[in-house]
Amino acid sequence: MKELIMIAIGAAFVNNVVLSQFMGLCPFLGVSKKIDTAAGMGGAVIFVITIASFVTSIIYHFVLVPVDITYLQTIVFILVIAALVQLVEMFLKKSIPSLYQSLGVYLPLITTNCAVLGVALTNVQNDYGILKSTVAGIATAVGFMVSIVIMAGLREKIEYNDIPESFQGMPIVLVTAGLMSIAFFGFSGLI
Amino acid sequence: MGKMIKDAVSLLIITMVAGIFLGLVHEITLEPIAEQKRLTEQRSCQEVFADADSFEEKTEVLDACAAAMAAEGYTVQSITKVMTAKAASGETLGYVLSVVDPEGYGGNIGFMLGVRMDGTVNGISILSINETAGLGMNADKPEFKNQFADKKVENFVYTKTGAVKENEIDAISGATFTTNAVTNGVNAGLAAFRYLAGEEG
Amino acid sequence: MKENSAVERLFNGIVKENPTFVLLLGMCPTLAVTTSAINGLGMGLTTMVILTMSNMMISLLRKLIPDSVRMPAYIVIVASFVTIVQFLLEGFIPALYSALGIYIPLIVVNCIILGRAEAYASKNKVIASIFDGIGMGLGFTVGLTAIGIVREILGAGTIFGFTVMPAIYTPITIFILAPGAFFVLAFLIAFQNKFKIGSAKPDAVTGEPACSRTTCINCGNAMCAGHKAAAAENGKEN
Repeated sequence: MKELIMIAIGAAFVNNVVLSQFMGLCPFLGVSKKIDTAAGMGGAVIFVITIASFVTSIIYHFVLVPVDITYLQTIVFILVIAALVQLVEMFLKKSIPSLYQSLGVYLPLITTNCAVLGVALTNVQNDYGILKSTVAGIATAVGFMVSIVIMAGLREKIEYNDIPESFQGMPIVLVTAGLMSIAFFGFSGLI
Repeated sequence: MGKMIKDAVSLLIITMVAGIFLGLVHEITLEPIAEQKRLTEQRSCQEVFADADSFEEKTEVLDACAAAMAAEGYTVQSITKVMTAKAASGETLGYVLSVVDPEGYGGNIGFMLGVRMDGTVNGISILSINETAGLGMNADKPEFKNQFADKKVENFVYTKTGAVKENEIDAISGATFTTNAVTNGVNAGLAAFRYLAGEEG
Repeated sequence: MKENSAVERLFNGIVKENPTFVLLLGMCPTLAVTTSAINGLGMGLTTMVILTMSNMMISLLRKLIPDSVRMPAYIVIVASFVTIVQFLLEGFIPALYSALGIYIPLIVVNCIILGRAEAYASKNKVIASIFDGIGMGLGFTVGLTAIGIVREILGAGTIFGFTVMPAIYTPITIFILAPGAFFVLAFLIAFQNKFKIGSAKPDAVTGEPACSRTTCINCGNAMCAGHKAAAAENGKEN
């Protein structure tokens, strides 16, 4: 249990996907203009990463390893993730329309969010079993949600500030991300 | 419906061709990859035991080494390879141990540890490391690695206030995790060495 | 310059639509592996090889791949090339392989590659697509190497491993760490904006720096549109 908590804290805060692993930067920079949309994206990512890390872990341990084709992991994982995103989208549309309304538009963006593939590959690299993989997946996604929501909150305020012309747009967002990244270093004392 | 089947079939064909092609490339590159691994290992062996002429792998002692390490409390570390370093004359100079410690900041840290027969650490050489660039990655620099060399101690401890005693190692600034992992790994290796030396004698 | 000629494609990729500085594509590797100039160069060239090969393959197959399954088909093609290059690196350039680590397989989801496949290779002839890949790849390499050089000078006082700063200079380690990546990219883009605002006033009047019209948001949206179109078509058939 202690190990699982360590993995969770490590993945969510200490090695934050966005701020220290640089995964999922596209949505982090692109969909962080408003807190609502950022939260929506974060929710969708939690949903997909949790399922994806569980499923890819099962496939890795029960298909790729026994058949000895672990070298195909990248191609298999990305296909599984792409298919999964489609399935989740179809399922949500039919069964839980309310959730689909809030998450739907973000789902197609997630296939190319490298955090999803990144988590799946890191799990394999660290020899995590199915339970550990899933926990690491959830925690990573929570870390993503936390950082993108904080970023959106900051950007809403930045809108009202007088920023030097050259820094308007992306540069000021990147500087903000850098400062957040320094702040997240503080978590490294946790584990 | 017919279109859907056609689409599915064409996707299936693309995937199958890709899969077969990948399998082929995998077969072809299998040999060079293994060769590279062997070369890296060989270089590391030479690095930690420059005066040895040949290295002989001992596979039968791995389980006993693990037990000896566990007995001293090193349960997470593992030894993946044990080799004896032999001089040209055939005399055994010491042991080379391939140690993996999972306590690094970025996961496993693997390194070769060379120990002379009298228990002096001859040197360490990092095989695989995935730490933060600029911090933990400094473990692969001579300034850090050489601290272990030519010391004959029971176990190493790291300090942040400047090493004074023989068994003290200066921690890498900003990378306590990495320092801890490497130091524990060396200590675990020494525990295994004590078992091996006891066997021999 | 003639449209779609080899030279025009190279110029377009390296200068006009530079993926790093102008389009802001492929941010993960841009920031993650540029801790040193050599890593940036290695990542850039690796991506270039994959991009060129996938552009070529997708352009060759553009008439055979059904429209509704083109996204998964592209992903399979790109993933195969990535895996092949991964094997080759592991077997022949192990130093680069271990330096780039997990970011090699992650090239699969690099927006640049799927973006070029969707936006260019799927609509154009093979030769033009190949040069588009080389141009974009070189542009990416230039961007990554530039960021790598800046970070290496500030963070370690070296370029490509050679000491260039005087001994009195204490390296500022934070530039090699994660925050440094954000700061360096921010300043490089800001410099570029400054330059553009100076030379093209009309852009500045609207208050939008020239590059922000095509930021990562558009990358997301372009991909989003692609996926949505594919999804919508899938939906119709089911």
